[in-house]
Amino acid sequence: MSAESFHCVTCADEALPMRVESVAADGAAVCAGDIQVLTDLVGPVAEGDRLLVHAGVAIARLEA
Amino acid sequence: MRFVDEFRDAELGRALAAEILAGVEPGRRYKVMEVCGGHTHTIYRYGIDDLLPENVELVHGPGCPVCVIPMGRVDDGIALARRPEVIFTCFGDMMRVPGGDGCLLDARAGGADVRMVYSPLDALRLAREHPEREVVFFAIGFETTAPSTALTLLRARAEGVRNFSVFCNHVLIVPPLRALLRSPDLRLDGFIGPGHVATVVGARPFEFLPADHHKPVVIAGFEPLDLLQAVHMLLRQLAEGRCQVENQYTRVVPYDGNPQALRVLEQVFELRPHFEWRGLGFISHSGLRLRDEFADLDAEHRFEVPGVRVADPKACQCGEVLKGVIKPWECKVFGTACTPERPIGTCMVSSEGACAAYYNFGRLAREREVV
Repeated sequence: MSAESFHCVTCADEALPMRVESVAADGAAVCAGDIQVLTDLVGPVAEGDRLLVHAGVAIARLEA
Repeated sequence: MRFVDEFRDAELGRALAAEILAGVEPGRRYKVMEVCGGHTHTIYRYGIDDLLPENVELVHGPGCPVCVIPMGRVDDGIALARRPEVIFTCFGDMMRVPGGDGCLLDARAGGADVRMVYSPLDALRLAREHPEREVVFFAIGFETTAPSTALTLLRARAEGVRNFSVFCNHVLIVPPLRALLRSPDLRLDGFIGPGHVATVVGARPFEFLPADHHKPVVIAGFEPLDLLQAVHMLLRQLAEGRCQVENQYTRVVPYDGNPQALRVLEQVFELRPHFEWRGLGFISHSGLRLRDEFADLDAEHRFEVPGVRVADPKACQCGEVLKGVIKPWECKVFGTACTPERPIGTCMVSSEGACAAYYNFGRLAREREVV
């Protein structure tokens, strides 16, 4: 088992900092290649923004 | 990576540990509860316990969402999963949580269509891809996770997806803390507050700890230096005779939380009168259910859910572990009848569970803790 697989998706531990690589047509942030992240809780995002992501949803913005 | 690497710096960690050691009162024993399973995980993964003075004890509280799910709710989930029309979706750790008669993985081996997802949005996508099936999402988690379920329900409603529903088991962090503080066998000096729950709800809901119970609390992040600094801040409050809510995790947690997230929670969920917690029993107003406006997306309305009640196994002492009354390895079945491969209690299932964290990372620390 790798160290990363010890993470548990339900837990706050899994809220990970991610960088927005692009913005999809529906406003979702695309991070880490092809992960779509909902941004409804943090407002519109732009490429380069940094988000705290939990269970597919950005729950906070981090400083750029 | 920014916000990660600088909070894992070993030199800074050692310096902070030295400051903590210099600040403790000799002969005094300190007992601090970290509420969040993520903190428990960080403590054992990075050996934070070993950096702390011998007289500072960290106690692991009821903050792992998997660990607090009672067996009856697992059995209810399995009953839903066994329906032939249902694709039952859940987070990975939930699949191994034992109910009264096996776990969801056993149900899958028996033919039920149980699938792991990383987000409720994945479950909604499955519903779109399989309009002929009923997709049910087993929603668990505290206020960090509940907004993701709420947004998914709002999206399902907006898109008119009719074959999607949620089996809601979301819980709140404050009621179990209040219940714990009523426990007569609990002696704690203070709390390390859950950083990502507080990202959503803010630091303000924890003000009852100093105000009503005279316990200081420091909201903390999840990197090793976050936890060391939080312990340092908490011990300093005790040394200076202060008792307040402090926020170590200011880079993420606003004092009033995330207003948009709180709004969607309010829009979609309401409090249940009671909810059962593993090892803690029924706690009033501690769980969430869908509002009536979302009844058509509520699996408990849509299907017949048995409403099973199962007593915790006698040999299992998850309740005492969750209350911090005993250490995981003091449980009679720890590491023998109960292991991560074949768990009896939920604390051994999730990697955030205190027992699994001890089993995987903490065994070297045991000798030191026998004092």
